[in-house]
Amino acid sequence: MELTANNEDGSLILIKQGAEARVFESTFVGRRSIVKERFSKKYRHPSLDSKLTLKRLNAESRCMTKARRLGVSTPVLYAVDPVQHTLTFEYVEGPSVKDVFLEFGLHGIVEERLDDIAVQIGVAIAKLHDGGLIHGDLTTSNMLIRNGTNQLVLIDFGLSFTSTLPEDKAVDLYVLERALVSMHSSCGNVMDRIIAAYRKSSKQWSSTMNKLAQGAILFCSCASKGSKTHHGWMSLLHSSIMYYGKMKRCP
Amino acid sequence: MKVFNISNGNTLSVSLFTEVTNTKELLDSMQAGTLEPEVAFLNALLIPDVFPLLAAAHKTLIAKSQESLTTRTLHSELVYNYSGSKHITESLKRCGISDSSTYVLAARFNASPDEMKAVEKLVNGKEIGLEELEGKAGSSPDKKGLSVQHYKISGPELEISSLTDAITCRIAARDAL
Repeated sequence: MELTANNEDGSLILIKQGAEARVFESTFVGRRSIVKERFSKKYRHPSLDSKLTLKRLNAESRCMTKARRLGVSTPVLYAVDPVQHTLTFEYVEGPSVKDVFLEFGLHGIVEERLDDIAVQIGVAIAKLHDGGLIHGDLTTSNMLIRNGTNQLVLIDFGLSFTSTLPEDKAVDLYVLERALVSMHSSCGNVMDRIIAAYRKSSKQWSSTMNKLAQGAILFCSCASKGSKTHHGWMSLLHSSIMYYGKMKRCP
Repeated sequence: MKVFNISNGNTLSVSLFTEVTNTKELLDSMQAGTLEPEVAFLNALLIPDVFPLLAAAHKTLIAKSQESLTTRTLHSELVYNYSGSKHITESLKRCGISDSSTYVLAARFNASPDEMKAVEKLVNGKEIGLEELEGKAGSSPDKKGLSVQHYKISGPELEISSLTDAITCRIAARDAL
């Protein structure tokens, strides 16, 4: 494989494969690292394909470093290779929040730990949103808990973008709520604790909450099965809010 | 002197000097292109750890392999990459050495032991171990000051990350910004 040329011991171990990228484990000048490679899509025109891939690669590294500047922990970026379309970052040792919560579901909840994690999530999202950054894919598998310090680390800024619209922020929170409901209902109402921390730490919580409430009422009645992507949610929310406006009645 | 493996068997040899007295001569011969062997001199006050330097070296080697060096030589590219900025003149001024520098880090790609001995002869100063880097540029808030200012590192970022990690991110993400 071409990529091995980048790594001193040449070992790349595939960890995960998604629709947009492959994730490998490797070493970067002596440190354990993660390599995320955006592969080319054969169904796209080659020149469009390389433009899109490059744009997304740069957007992701920009958003990750912006999150750090806002005081939200993300993996340290080690290298960006625009020719091979790869990002190399720090290997964060620790479980994902998803694993921690599923563990709670199986062996009982450790209240203290759950609370600590929920508060950290709320505060982190508040920092991002107040800084005008939307994560775009807030699920429990995109949050890690660093071993030793128990610090929350957000990963995968592939769908991330900058925006100050309350609606975008509300959609961000809504994605998280759906993820929590569908994966971790056995943990009780984690979302309430997250929202409480979010409201405490965000300066602009009020307009976001309004939007979230507006959307949520309608979503409950629609029981929609929207796609997980940002654009899917957006258009759904748009249409349901327009629908709400037409009905002029609270369901 | 310490040698680090960067990638593909390429190495970077690094030596750290304090109380250097001949930076002006070094600077002059470097600018005249007569420095032998070719070597990168960096302002060590901006280097709290060797890791960001290795990340910059990695970036330099990739640019070299893709034949896309921005500056004239491999070693000036290292200084430019370490700066985390796109302004070449400013980078070389701030991250390289100036007439008044006394605390200097010398680095050379794929150096033979003889070449590094020649580098040690070039520099009139006391060689110290790389473990001193942190004590001189990263251990206390006032020592961090220069790096924080140069790399524009915000307060909230330093709460969640070390200075070394913050600098590494800036070096890696420079071309994406």
